[in-house]
Amino acid sequence: MSESIARLVMRTTANNLPLSRDDRPYQWSTTTYCDTLNWSIFRAAQKGSAMQLRIREYHRTRPQGVMNPGAAWIEFKDDEEDTSLKERFGVSMDVARAFLRGEMALPDPDHGLAERAGRLLKDGARPVVVTQYNRLAYNSLDTAVRITADHNLMYFALPWEARDDNDHPSPLGSLLAMEPDVIVEMKWYGELPHWAIDLHAYLKENTREERPSKFIVAMRWLLGETDGAKKRKK
Amino acid sequence: MKAVEDAIRSDAPATRVVVVEDDQASADVLQRRLQANGMVVSVAHDGRRGIELVEELLPDLVLLDVMLPDTDGYDVCLRIKSNSSTAPIPVIFLSARGEVVDKVRGLSCGAADYITKPFQAAELLARIDAVLGQARNPRVPRLARSAERAAGERRVARVAIADGALRAHVEQLLATRFDLAEDSDTPDVVLLEGNASLPADAPEDVAVVRVTAGRGSDDRTELIPVDVQLPRIVDLTVREHDLDHDLQSAAEALIVLAAAIASHDRPSTGHTERVAARAVQIGRALGLDESTRMTIRLGALLRDVGHARLPGSLLAKSGELSPDERGMLERHPVLGEEILAGFKRLSGLLPIVRHHHERLDGTGYPDGLRAEQIPLEVRIVTVADRFEALLADRSDRPAVSESEAVRILQGAVARGELDAAVVAALATQVRANGGN
Repeated sequence: MSESIARLVMRTTANNLPLSRDDRPYQWSTTTYCDTLNWSIFRAAQKGSAMQLRIREYHRTRPQGVMNPGAAWIEFKDDEEDTSLKERFGVSMDVARAFLRGEMALPDPDHGLAERAGRLLKDGARPVVVTQYNRLAYNSLDTAVRITADHNLMYFALPWEARDDNDHPSPLGSLLAMEPDVIVEMKWYGELPHWAIDLHAYLKENTREERPSKFIVAMRWLLGETDGAKKRKK
Repeated sequence: MKAVEDAIRSDAPATRVVVVEDDQASADVLQRRLQANGMVVSVAHDGRRGIELVEELLPDLVLLDVMLPDTDGYDVCLRIKSNSSTAPIPVIFLSARGEVVDKVRGLSCGAADYITKPFQAAELLARIDAVLGQARNPRVPRLARSAERAAGERRVARVAIADGALRAHVEQLLATRFDLAEDSDTPDVVLLEGNASLPADAPEDVAVVRVTAGRGSDDRTELIPVDVQLPRIVDLTVREHDLDHDLQSAAEALIVLAAAIASHDRPSTGHTERVAARAVQIGRALGLDESTRMTIRLGALLRDVGHARLPGSLLAKSGELSPDERGMLERHPVLGEEILAGFKRLSGLLPIVRHHHERLDGTGYPDGLRAEQIPLEVRIVTVADRFEALLADRSDRPAVSESEAVRILQGAVARGELDAAVVAALATQVRANGGN
């Protein structure tokens, strides 16, 4: 949606929900997504069912590279038709790099996602595409409702490479595309409060375009499956 | 166009500023104020034109309004900072939006400063000076040194040693063979004590000799004792350093040879040079440094030098090759590597020469390397080679347009043959140039 509509939405949200403690305003999120040489994760994601493997970093100013020394989150997201399961592990970037190289396993107590991710890496999954954006996030204290607005969303290619040094970030490849709009997401479970029902209706009315996941959009740009010249619906 | 012409016409070393400001009156005031302080100013009134001006002029500084008619200043700043050619150019936001979140957002996009309107001219100029002072590299540009040296002319040595007595001793020894650098001289060699750092104003590619008042050392850092042998050792170091610079000349001679061979092999002239130029462009788009881009260029120019060892009849043959002929042709990367292996200083190019027909999925030749086993420089040359080949007519198919060639290469990416990020960099260039 447009920035002006998004501002209205987030103002209403701010009147009802506290700012998320995990997301600071105008902080940059950098997410590095993995895929295999035959793009098996992307192909599965397009069919609505995929196990995603990604590395997330947070910075106050936009970094020029990915996998910067410091803290990182390894995230697994398993999307099925009706459900979505996500696990994240806060680790140092050294550990994240070692995990991507297949040198280190992660604890896997409940859902088997880390083990499946390990198999993907064994099958050749490597970092291939990156998103960067500013996120403004609000969620209820019981986390039943979460509303986020992502703007300045950029998609980058990442050259295929093997990194065996942990000290230097990997430089970003070409800028594939920038989103002109703000991506607003509303997630909840259980019953929505009245204000959120109204807000959801307002969101539906004013949405310019419903989007697939950032991963799918980024991969379409990377593989030339999006027509960059296509005009947006106004 | 006038803004570009004005900026190009000015050959004085003035600070060049691009102002992106939609309000005509504000832009005029700003332009006059900056010009009065010796700056060359180009003005754009919207974001799209602002980005065009920055990419064309590569100015020293961009002053950027946040609220623009076609987009916002944050978007313009991000585009400047995401293009490896323009990323180093400092950006200062000028905006009436003075809330903390606006400033944080501007700075987080990569801006060097954020100034709230209305501002005093003195403050603006002071901030510009501060930002430019941080951005300017005090080092002498690498190409600034004269490549020519008159016969018999003495080399210039700079003794950057803090200890006064040791410095005087070293200068006394060197005076027999070297001129000692004055402040304004560009030295050929810098002498340092022990592991001391090179002075910030020393040329980037200067020869360095590390000395010690003791007996020298045989650990990782070679320290030369200060004795009567020092001038001879320094002289040898400078000569060896010059030889490295001569690598370029030697490589050029080989390139002439390779180009001569290529002109026999291919119906279209200039293919090799176009591949090299294209590969360098891709390397630049991927943010590779100058030295790596030079390796890519030389590797691309020499990649098919192995053709010199193949029968001319095989290279000239049109139509389908027999399996034996194909096997022989596919030996050219190995033959090329053998030819160049004798040139120790060209060792950095050998992976490009040997592996430029490898594919990420392991179906290439001669070694069937896979994915990250193939260095990025090689993958870039491979893409440039295949792209330029598609643009030329061949006996078995006509030339295709640049856009169509990109689509064909994207198909190869989908099959796992080529690096997606390298082809994406190429596609971005073709789109930016309006690909035919």
